[in-house]
Amino acid sequence: MSASDRFEQLREQTSTESSDSTAPTLLAVVALAISLFVLSPLVWLFLRAGEIAPARALELLTSQTTVEVTLNTLVLVVGVTAASVLIGVPLAILTAQTDLPFRRFWTITAALPLVVPSYIGAFAFVSAFGPRGVLADLLAPLGVEQLPTIYGLPGAVLVLTLFTYPYVFLTTRASLLSFDGTVVEAARSLNHTRWEAFKRVTLPQIAPGIAAGALLVALYALSDFGTPAIMQYDVFTRMIYNEFGARRLDYASVLSMLLLVMALGILAVESRLNAGREGAYVSRGSRQPGQIRLGYWKAPALAFCAGIAALCLVLPIGILLQWLVRSGTGYSGGGFVFELSYAWNSVGLAAVAAGISVLAALPVAYLSARSDTRLGALPERATYVGYAVPGVVLGLALVYLGLSYVPFLYQSVILLVFAYVVRFLPQAVGTTESSILQVDPSYIEAARSLGYNPISAFRQVVLPLVAPGLAAGAALVFLTTMKELPATLMLRPTGFETFVTYIWLVQGAGYYGQAAIPALILVGVSGLSMLVILRREGSS
Amino acid sequence: MTDDDSLTDGSRSRRRFLQLGGAAAATALAGCSGLSLGGEQESGQVTLADFRGSGPLVAQRAEPEGTSIEDLPALEGELTLYLGGGEGGLYLDLINLLERRYPDFTTNHRLEASSDLANTIIEETDAGQSPADVFMAVDAGSLGAVANAGATAGLPEEALSAVPSEFQDSEGRWVGIAGRARAIPYNTNELSASDIPSSVQAFPETAAFQNSLGWAPTYSAFQSFVTAMRLIRGDDETRSWLEAMLDAGITEFPDEFRVSNAAADGEIVAGFANHYYSQRVKSAREDAPLDLAFTEGDAGALVNVSGLEILDGTPNADLAANFVRHILSAEAQEFFATRTFAYPMIPGVQPVGGLPTIDELDPPDIDLTELADVAGTVDLLREAGVL
Repeated sequence: MSASDRFEQLREQTSTESSDSTAPTLLAVVALAISLFVLSPLVWLFLRAGEIAPARALELLTSQTTVEVTLNTLVLVVGVTAASVLIGVPLAILTAQTDLPFRRFWTITAALPLVVPSYIGAFAFVSAFGPRGVLADLLAPLGVEQLPTIYGLPGAVLVLTLFTYPYVFLTTRASLLSFDGTVVEAARSLNHTRWEAFKRVTLPQIAPGIAAGALLVALYALSDFGTPAIMQYDVFTRMIYNEFGARRLDYASVLSMLLLVMALGILAVESRLNAGREGAYVSRGSRQPGQIRLGYWKAPALAFCAGIAALCLVLPIGILLQWLVRSGTGYSGGGFVFELSYAWNSVGLAAVAAGISVLAALPVAYLSARSDTRLGALPERATYVGYAVPGVVLGLALVYLGLSYVPFLYQSVILLVFAYVVRFLPQAVGTTESSILQVDPSYIEAARSLGYNPISAFRQVVLPLVAPGLAAGAALVFLTTMKELPATLMLRPTGFETFVTYIWLVQGAGYYGQAAIPALILVGVSGLSMLVILRREGSS
Repeated sequence: MTDDDSLTDGSRSRRRFLQLGGAAAATALAGCSGLSLGGEQESGQVTLADFRGSGPLVAQRAEPEGTSIEDLPALEGELTLYLGGGEGGLYLDLINLLERRYPDFTTNHRLEASSDLANTIIEETDAGQSPADVFMAVDAGSLGAVANAGATAGLPEEALSAVPSEFQDSEGRWVGIAGRARAIPYNTNELSASDIPSSVQAFPETAAFQNSLGWAPTYSAFQSFVTAMRLIRGDDETRSWLEAMLDAGITEFPDEFRVSNAAADGEIVAGFANHYYSQRVKSAREDAPLDLAFTEGDAGALVNVSGLEILDGTPNADLAANFVRHILSAEAQEFFATRTFAYPMIPGVQPVGGLPTIDELDPPDIDLTELADVAGTVDLLREAGVL
């Protein structure tokens, strides 16, 4: 089916839903255009891959290395996703539904690891747990000769999990806060045990929330370069980077295509899990379920929350502070003088990327939320592909496309912001869509019957209700843009530095002390944007 | 710690050891690198002392010989520089000095890994022309890749004639500006200099190295070393050597600064790294039990260079050519020697910190431009199971 056929079908379906077909059609056109726009950099992959002789392509695809790396990547993605669910869901339940002491505090600490760039987390863990690391030094007097190695699969899963589980935590918590608690009480009144009530009532309700978070985690694990590289675990991103370094673009593009296939696979799995999501979002959680009393479980629950916070926050920040202290004169870094303009560059870029992402997310999310068909959700699904494209692949694609087709945009802030929107739009789409799903469509019907046209009905009725979701989406895009490294390195204007390009350069040169302060500021500024995400709960 | 020590140690055997400067050198280095070249200095007031920094070790140095900046025409205008590698930060200090000296001279610079910038320049050239005027890279392989892609313009004869032929491209497309010697950093608590073979080929069979060597196979300097081995000994022998190293239980690190640190920590007894990383370790930790050994005449003794080339189609060719001459002046070469621990490229300037002089090293006889064949090396590393 061609794109125009698809579109035609889409138009027919949307038009049957409404007596006035202009607005939905326009919406579908805009949403489709946005999704095609953000997918456009992938054209580069097809162009490059098209240059490969079929025999060579087959040889590359079936080589032992390719097979091994595929398996490695799969194991990593599955491991990180599963572990993130195992950490994120209990934390969400503890902070949303129990009498855990200091719930507000634990909510913030559970969400905050998202602000730590995973490559900084990985360095911190190598510093702490590596051979002769901080921990080994501490344990040596106690007769501990050797620690199990942090390198390889275990370290990569550990670090990626610790700095991405908040996606699951945040989406699960949002679901828990928004579903109708009276259902659980009804189940309990029917003599279901608490566990049965959870399994039969709560779990199906929050499953889409868990799946949405798990999707973000899985796609992040698939596309992350820094952590597997630092942990020396061979995955697609690391191989693709090495192939680019060796200027073998054919193999790099074959590997990139395989990586995209895996991303589509993850999307398909998530789509299946998400099939019954209508039930999850329809009722608005004005009535909270009765709080679960932890009783004897209070101490273990607190220990769990504190343990995660210690690993994700205290440890990396402690290591950064240690770099700062240890950075005597010998560590000071030549011409690497941090300038305040780098901070402004970072914040400005992130703010613009967040604003544009929210504007682009709105039509895509609205179409997906209000459409009953898979086709209506197609633009939304399509935007997720960009999230799975590693920054290094996207960066090269845009270098190539920029130079070839829009040379006046090459090394411009515009192309850089476009890269951020391509990569991080789905985060805004996700939060926006879940907010829109919680708006009762009958409100719009009411407004329409009062004579508002569709656009002003949307502006007057829907927009105020979804504003907190938009703010959360903007905050999420803001903080991931602040952390983004590879595309920033490749696409930034010459002479234009940011927090992360500076941190990357000084740590690459071994001047860790120089990296400590900007890294701490980066974490601090990102932490502020996290507060926006959490505040949304207060207003919903 | 004087040059006499290394003479008595090393002059008898063909092998050369490097007694890394102890406390004195470290203090000197701390003095230099601790200085920030922020904006407080007045322009125009740049002397040799600024290029050299201060400290007891440096103070005793003779005046550098070669063409002085005083004898070169003034730099005027704006240059766009692509600076490769983390050590690019050190180049920035030098460029800042030149900008201070010439108020009408400004630079616009882009700092990334050398190989990434080489790829970028090649993409840019394919599409028309690079926005950069000059590419400064930390390895000859990246310079060679750009040169082989036809992306360079010629260099001024005055610059090429100042540098020995083995440290420039045979066609004059790039020129070395600072030398980087492959070396074996080792832990002096675990090994003595005589434990280290004079040929890297002997490393897999050396009992002291079993399960206790380190390398950084994704690091471009290491890949240049393997490329050199392929050029000297062929692919088959290189593959066997790599496999034998794996069988001997070598440990992988992400970069060579960490290899050198691990050797100082005793996590490994020795490793493969560029020479200056060990001096960086020593400058941070004066008492680190770390020393350097060099092999002889093989890939392990490769002297790679940081270098630069002028990019094809630049509208600032004259300014770029004058800039290259400034980078090869006596003062700038003194800067590389005393501040980055690199080997100066002009004969009139000596290396510091007890390093053997460049003519005391025994590098293999290869054309550094051929180090551009990184793709073949990555293939080989993968076949051998190293990557």
